[in-house]
Amino acid sequence: MTEKKSQNIMLKTFSLLLFVVVFIWFYWLIGQDKTELPSQLIDSPAPNFKVPDLLDDEVIHTEKEFIGKITLVNIWASWCPSCYVEHPFWKEYSSNKDIVLVGLNYRDKKQKALEFIREQGNYYDWTLFDESGRLGIEFGVYGAPETFLIDRNGKIRYRHVGVVDRKVYKEIFLPLVEKIKQGF
Amino acid sequence: MHLVMRQIFLIAISLLVLFTMPCFATIDVYEFETPELEERFKLLTHELRCPKCQNQNLAGSNSTLSLDLKMVVYEKLIAGETDQQILDFMKQRYGEFILFNPEMSQSNVLLWGAPFIFVVVFFAFFLRWYMNHKEVDND
Repeated sequence: MTEKKSQNIMLKTFSLLLFVVVFIWFYWLIGQDKTELPSQLIDSPAPNFKVPDLLDDEVIHTEKEFIGKITLVNIWASWCPSCYVEHPFWKEYSSNKDIVLVGLNYRDKKQKALEFIREQGNYYDWTLFDESGRLGIEFGVYGAPETFLIDRNGKIRYRHVGVVDRKVYKEIFLPLVEKIKQGF
Repeated sequence: MHLVMRQIFLIAISLLVLFTMPCFATIDVYEFETPELEERFKLLTHELRCPKCQNQNLAGSNSTLSLDLKMVVYEKLIAGETDQQILDFMKQRYGEFILFNPEMSQSNVLLWGAPFIFVVVFFAFFLRWYMNHKEVDND
């Protein structure tokens, strides 16, 4: 009988413990952003492409231009409200001369994209014009803005979904850039 | 008077027709050479998840990204790629997340195994309880 009693206590303790663990787990899950997808391209080379420049159709860019430099590729579009919020940061950032800033105009109308650049300012070293969105698919883009950090070997090191501002840049991008500069 | 009313009515109708905007259906029509190809397209767009609107499949979503991805599936089918090649293409870009029916891997083996584990644990407890109960009854 006493054996049964102790078994009963054990079962009750176990159930209570299980409940507490599950509760904490679910509570932790509430704070997670489950819509954010990790990029599949981390530590893989940037996709191959041949895409015209937004400002000049005759200039064709390829992924080979990423080699030898640290590059940020910022996906933007005139139809994307958050891009208007993010854009002033690139103005502040453009004084940063050791990292190339490439724009990727994603699924936009040329006229509207040019208007955006004219009104908000052009801080990109060059801008890819991806009207069909096919380059975006190659990068695994699922919205705008997104920003990719590419190292000197042309490998994608990080993908940020959402607005990049001073805080995000300082806390996430800068440590990674420093790592790349040190040869990691 | 009757005639005037009729004329006014006709003019009103003409004006209405004149200002009616043409309605452009936004349903995409994909043309296939064989019914098998169409069937494969249907299956693939049902199996693939829209990365933007994450609770919908490509077939059920009209977001621009879904339309683009559906077009990619269509073009690849026409180009003669296999279903696995198309699924791999999507997986390489968007991760396993894009498959509505995820494959078993090291990271999700527990998820696949959990129902079986639960059933075994349940039966073990049940058996134990039953045996105990039996003993008590016999007493």
